[in-house]
Amino acid sequence: MDDDNSNPFRRMSSRTRKVAPRMAAALASSDNRTHAALARLEALENDNAGIEQIEINEDSDASLDDDDQGYMQKRQSKGTKRKTRQAKALENARKAPRTFLELLNEASLESLPPHVPSYLKAAVGPPSSTSRRHFCTVCGYAASYTCVKCGMRFCSGRCQNIHNDTRCLKFVA
Amino acid sequence: MSSSFSYPDFSNVVVLDNGGGLIKAGLGGERNPSTVLPNCLLRPISSKKWITPPPATTNPNSDPLDLTSAAVRRPLDRGYLINPDLQRDIWAHLFTTLLRVTPSHSSLLLTEPLFTLPSIQRATDEIVFEDFNFKSLYVADSPSLAHLYEASRSGPTGRLVSKAQCSLVVDCGFSFTHAAPVFQNFTLNYAVKRIDLGGKALTNYLKELVSYRAVNVMDETFLIDDVKENLCFVSLDVPRDLHIARKTGRDNLYRCTYVLPDGVTHTKGFVKDPEQAKRYLSVTHGDTPQLEANKKEMDQIEVTERSENRKREVDFSKNEFDLTNERFLVPEMLFRPADLGMNQAGLAECIVRAINACHPHLHPVLYESIILTGGCTLFPRFAERLERELRPLVADDYQVNITTQEDPILGVWRGGSLLASSPDFEAMCVTKAEYEELGSARCRRRFFH
Repeated sequence: MDDDNSNPFRRMSSRTRKVAPRMAAALASSDNRTHAALARLEALENDNAGIEQIEINEDSDASLDDDDQGYMQKRQSKGTKRKTRQAKALENARKAPRTFLELLNEASLESLPPHVPSYLKAAVGPPSSTSRRHFCTVCGYAASYTCVKCGMRFCSGRCQNIHNDTRCLKFVA
Repeated sequence: MSSSFSYPDFSNVVVLDNGGGLIKAGLGGERNPSTVLPNCLLRPISSKKWITPPPATTNPNSDPLDLTSAAVRRPLDRGYLINPDLQRDIWAHLFTTLLRVTPSHSSLLLTEPLFTLPSIQRATDEIVFEDFNFKSLYVADSPSLAHLYEASRSGPTGRLVSKAQCSLVVDCGFSFTHAAPVFQNFTLNYAVKRIDLGGKALTNYLKELVSYRAVNVMDETFLIDDVKENLCFVSLDVPRDLHIARKTGRDNLYRCTYVLPDGVTHTKGFVKDPEQAKRYLSVTHGDTPQLEANKKEMDQIEVTERSENRKREVDFSKNEFDLTNERFLVPEMLFRPADLGMNQAGLAECIVRAINACHPHLHPVLYESIILTGGCTLFPRFAERLERELRPLVADDYQVNITTQEDPILGVWRGGSLLASSPDFEAMCVTKAEYEELGSARCRRRFFH
């Protein structure tokens, strides 16, 4: 009981100490904001796939083998040679599908001569006008204000409050 | 193969439009694909196994699969094949139980996105020839097939395309959007321009908006797909529409309620009031007289409306959510990706750049026959908006003519079906023997892309 109470508390306090300098760095550089924007665009291509769950299962397998007798027996009967963690990781890496961006990097399209059309050259490129309309991230209407902390847009004091309460710094920290 | 009119040969061509979102598959020569199914594996929360999704063409009477919070794995990422094993499983299911063909006695016409990386082409060839043992393979790109289909159609729109033998195909699909000039059934790949936005990104964007503003639906891909397909439309005048969407009560022509599935009486979400959802159609050009009329009407019943409004908001926290400006701000991203923070030009500019990369002699004919294909072009008013944006960017003496396909999702497949039933199709294919002899890279040169 005592442990339960003290542990999360300690963890939390250490976490805030760790985050604070990082947060300060994040606030100082605008680069993190572009990172956050890119991450957000990347997220638009996500599926809600359960791929991570497979990995979690295997991790828990590894931690279980001390106390779960039944599991130990099953495993010894099944596998003749015990795989090291490294071998397992290698195998997983081989099996895991790579993302398109990894394949793209591997193909090294930059080295093609300039007249050959390729995936990279087919991208439409930046817009001719640099003007960008801003929509309030809270309600969606035209936004005239920018959050000084994270750079997201909002349209009114009401939306600013909601923004501050809910997702300000969410991507940057 | 003594006579060129051996029908059994033609009917043995499997035409497979392998999209990132939907697989369209059927036999060459037919008008419609016999199967349309999502190109993914699903794991509903009720099961532990990954299952193949039911085809979209199943009869509605059969027991619908509960897709609430289902996890999804897709073999394609950003339009390109990244997980050949997964694709093989899905195709195996497709060929054996849905199409019931024997690959070793059939040819395959497969669509592949433009600029597929060599490593991905190799993986595809391996699946086709080594896992499924197809007799022969033809790889086509979707713009040329969409062009072929439109060119074959007679009628006022089809005539122009076939006369000029070239068109600009705008393929706005699940993973990305391509503007591709096609000349005599060949895609001019040096002029193709791509926007990295498609239906998937739009669905995810809508998911994000709804999750932040109303209910957490981050896991409900299929639900939000349905919301997008039923409720989203393209705005013709964004500031005006934003203004309208901000109004309260009946004056707001865009507010619409979507009911989430409760898992008991209905497993699919639905639009609460389809009449309400269609009210955006009454907003037409510029200033609208209907709006004024609505305003007068509104004054009279304002008091009752208000109380009704309040009731609605109580409901809304339970199992339904309202959409207002999201309905048009989501498709809006295709026209202005910069608003999303993407450093890419919008669709109109993308078309102009693709055409400018062609020979100047082609410019007028390309503007005259712009073909819209792909599921995203199904948004209401898509073509109208595109024409409005395109017109100021094009020289006055060029005519801009945008053709919408009657069924943009199937357009590419139909083109493939036509190609597969043409007499010299077999001659264009790469046979399994040739593949074994020459390998993937050499065979690929035949397809000119």
